[in-house]
Amino acid sequence: MGCDMDLTLNEKRLLVALEPVGSVDAATLADLMDTRQEAVIQYANLARERRLVDVEKHVSRRYTLTEEGQTYAGRGLPERQVLESFDDEIPMRDLQAHPLARIAIGWMRKKGWVVIKNGIVRKTGNATPGPDEVAFAQASENGAVTGDEEGVFDLLRRGLVQEVEAVAYTVSITPQGREVLARGLDLQAEVGTLTRDQIVSGAWRDLPLRRYDVTKVPKRAYPGKTHPYQRLLDEMRRVLLDMGFSEIAGGIVQSSFWNFDALFQPQDHPAREMQDTFFLGERWPLPEGYERVRDMHEHGGETSSTGWGGAWNAAKAKQCVLRTHTTSLSIQHLVEHPDPPVKAFCIGRVYRREATDPTHLAEFEQLEGVVMDEGVNFAHLLGFLKEFYAKMGFEMVRFRPGYFPYTEPSVEPEVHVDGLGWVELGGAGIFRQEVTAPLGIEHPVLAWGLGISRVAMLRLGLRDLRHLYRSDVEWIRDTPTYSGRR
Amino acid sequence: MAIIPLAYRYMERLTGTDRQTLIERIPMIGADIERIEEDHVDVEFFPDRPDLYSAEGVARAMRGFLGIEEGLPIYTVHPSGIAFSIDPGLADIRPYLGSAVIRNVDLDEEAIESLMGLQEALHWAVGRGRGKVAIGVHDLDTITPPFHYMASPRSRSFVPLDFDRDMTLDEILTDHPKGRDYAHLVERFSEFPLIVDANDRVLSFPPIINGELTRVTTATKNILLDCTGTDKRAVMTATNIICTALAEAGASIETVTIGDEVMPTLAPAERCVSAKECASLLGLPLSPEDIARLLERMRFGAEPDGNSWIRVLVPCYRADILHDWDIFEDVAIAYGIENFDATLPATSTVAEEHPTTAIARAVRAVMVGLGYLEMIPFTLTSDRVLYESMRREPLPGTLRLLHPISEDQTVVRTDLLALLMEMLQANKHRELPQRLFAIGDVVEDCATYQKMAAVSIHPTADFSEAYAAVDVFCREVSLSYAVTESVDPAFIDGRRGDIVVGKRVVGVFGEIHPTVLNAFDLEHPVAAFALDLRAVPGYPALPDTPSPGGR
Repeated sequence: MGCDMDLTLNEKRLLVALEPVGSVDAATLADLMDTRQEAVIQYANLARERRLVDVEKHVSRRYTLTEEGQTYAGRGLPERQVLESFDDEIPMRDLQAHPLARIAIGWMRKKGWVVIKNGIVRKTGNATPGPDEVAFAQASENGAVTGDEEGVFDLLRRGLVQEVEAVAYTVSITPQGREVLARGLDLQAEVGTLTRDQIVSGAWRDLPLRRYDVTKVPKRAYPGKTHPYQRLLDEMRRVLLDMGFSEIAGGIVQSSFWNFDALFQPQDHPAREMQDTFFLGERWPLPEGYERVRDMHEHGGETSSTGWGGAWNAAKAKQCVLRTHTTSLSIQHLVEHPDPPVKAFCIGRVYRREATDPTHLAEFEQLEGVVMDEGVNFAHLLGFLKEFYAKMGFEMVRFRPGYFPYTEPSVEPEVHVDGLGWVELGGAGIFRQEVTAPLGIEHPVLAWGLGISRVAMLRLGLRDLRHLYRSDVEWIRDTPTYSGRR
Repeated sequence: MAIIPLAYRYMERLTGTDRQTLIERIPMIGADIERIEEDHVDVEFFPDRPDLYSAEGVARAMRGFLGIEEGLPIYTVHPSGIAFSIDPGLADIRPYLGSAVIRNVDLDEEAIESLMGLQEALHWAVGRGRGKVAIGVHDLDTITPPFHYMASPRSRSFVPLDFDRDMTLDEILTDHPKGRDYAHLVERFSEFPLIVDANDRVLSFPPIINGELTRVTTATKNILLDCTGTDKRAVMTATNIICTALAEAGASIETVTIGDEVMPTLAPAERCVSAKECASLLGLPLSPEDIARLLERMRFGAEPDGNSWIRVLVPCYRADILHDWDIFEDVAIAYGIENFDATLPATSTVAEEHPTTAIARAVRAVMVGLGYLEMIPFTLTSDRVLYESMRREPLPGTLRLLHPISEDQTVVRTDLLALLMEMLQANKHRELPQRLFAIGDVVEDCATYQKMAAVSIHPTADFSEAYAAVDVFCREVSLSYAVTESVDPAFIDGRRGDIVVGKRVVGVFGEIHPTVLNAFDLEHPVAAFALDLRAVPGYPALPDTPSPGGR
């Protein structure tokens, strides 16, 4: 402190302006410095932090004329104007013709200036101006009046004046300020932004560059960004590509045949009821060879299966749905690519007819991977799962038996999450032969899937899944692009 | 899901092991522990294992799994001499009946509750809400055989459970709580199923309600079981599961004669499975003897035939064994899923991302470079948001849900712009400027493809900003385009342009119409653009979708 190199040019100019006067209000100071009052206050506050000046804030209440008040300014209150419009007396009917009569007559009577008898308004002779008129006259003349004037509150009640809060500042130089002045100040203008000329000509060498205060945080800037959830989806996609899985994508609308029947979901399964699945009015034709799927449902076709029994209904299989899982895409991909090996994955939105709340949504992303190859087996399935979860940052994985309608054997993977313990994450299994045989898929198919929103909740610390899809801009702005996790 | 309460003391008695072992090991036969309580544990078992929906069934399985008692459980049945006849008039209503006599039951309140619990769980898992199978248990000593399962006039009356007066069958459907719950299963028929005894007294009105007459109480010693339904296999599954559970609890089972069939036999089904197929599916080096030993722990009867085949006897209560692989899964469970050596196969594959992913990545890179934030809106929306608020006419190819669950989710989006407007509305109180974009699936005429959209809201957002962004975007994704004046009512006339590629309008941009701003409760101008990504070079041809309608 005390070294003038720290001072901005504006602070220096402020001290110079204050030197002859010592203490002055901000408005005057602004005139002296030929700038705006707000700017002066800003410089003064900077200088105050260095204890070179004192800044005193005065708040005062003043009363200015309202719109109605303005209309009487210079002419007096309505009752005064009306009183002066006639001599000693006037018939009431005539007086009522005066434009201000409606307001004025009541006040004239109340103030005892007139009496009204038999339709005649007569002056009492006693009409000295009250404190309200004194205050009004001041307000009219000066544009405002202070609360010291007792009549002002009558005017306030009548809506003729309004309260205005005024803030004024007095800036005074301190002894430290004078010391700095005494040491002499360099008033050459500081340079904010270097110009091309200054750089090219070498003039920059002699320029006093304005110093910035590194303790002041910058204005917050917001870059364009991908969505935090998208970054998680991309991470999963990369993991699967790294593991040699090719990506598949497909339609949101699926026939029940591909969404359910081809996956050996019995036609009376609860998931196929209207309460759980979004059905559509559209009906799609069954693919060639659907009869083998029908036979599988009815009696197990040519496998060791018994099938579900009962009669399989083709009409039910034609009805379209919003896909309830991406497995409908995986199975069609396998049908189209019958030659091993096939390793494919899909990340896509799936639909369940659920009422929306913090942990349930009618639509969410699902990830699914399938491996079809000669001789792949259950131990391999566990191997893929371990690898996938490890790459997703879940180092500890364990397995329990599971149940899924279209896989056998089935398994439920659990991952260990600090603070939560073992968390079930997805499901896996080998496609039942009832699924693969009628579609001509000749080798075992390992499959696993998981709802990504579960992972999103764990990784993004979300409590409410809806925030993924109806996001707060602030949350996206505040979530770092790189979490430091990998 | 079926959640079964297992009382520790009873389970310890039935299995001969301690509760800690049970709690630790039960999940490894395929179950989720829901809650661990002072005196019991609530366990959720899978829907394909209804034989585990009773403490007795779980104990039977755990005795095997823990090596306490292995191999096929043998249930002997004796004839009861009781006959049941079935009215041919039921053929189109509810044709199948399974029945048994269960003697010497020992029922306290808890046991009755547990039997009702099993019944309810079976109604759900096997009976599909009583449609496929409904189960009734009756105090046999209150009624006189033979019994008759008949199609009855709807005017017939009896005293249903929990009531003290005669009600007609029709009345039960409207006035009895169970009648109201299950009326939909029978109301289309002119006659209703009814079970009566030799004296024409009513035992039951399946699948709705039993008669008060045969109520099972703690005094009940002998039970008549009826399982009626529309699927023979499911009816027998339920019959077998209830009989064997009660047999495990100490009761003895007797057969009834229905026509010329004597049931239940409680006999196992037989299957010959390949040990080689099993070992190769699981990836375990198991011999036929190993496999047979593991199957015995899962309560199968299993005998290697000395030639790599195994003769397997499947207990009558195992409804889930449809296929040989179902048996192999039990081998895996007995081996212990946790004991597998997780390995990766040696085959190498070369991965490829989907072409739309490459395009989406480019879109994101460009939009982020332009300073836009990504949003991932829902695909389900409503006509109000998608069209009305946007002043647009509904597209003819809009996909509508038959049974929406809320009025905010009635259609699948055909465009993303409206959803971004909604996002701006939701973020109205956040600092401006806000620049948002989204990329994602839309559905039109049942075909799924991708679109993108972008919005920019701030006091000086205008046509020029939108145009400049469109121009950058198209250049960056190698899209040569032309612009013509647009008539899109979501934008202000004179401040809107169509993005044209070839002869097709593939997008639109400009200043959003103030009426639209009002509809989304926005107070500043919005510059926006939207583009059909099928226009981008390299976008894959859509896979064939079957023609809608199908006829």
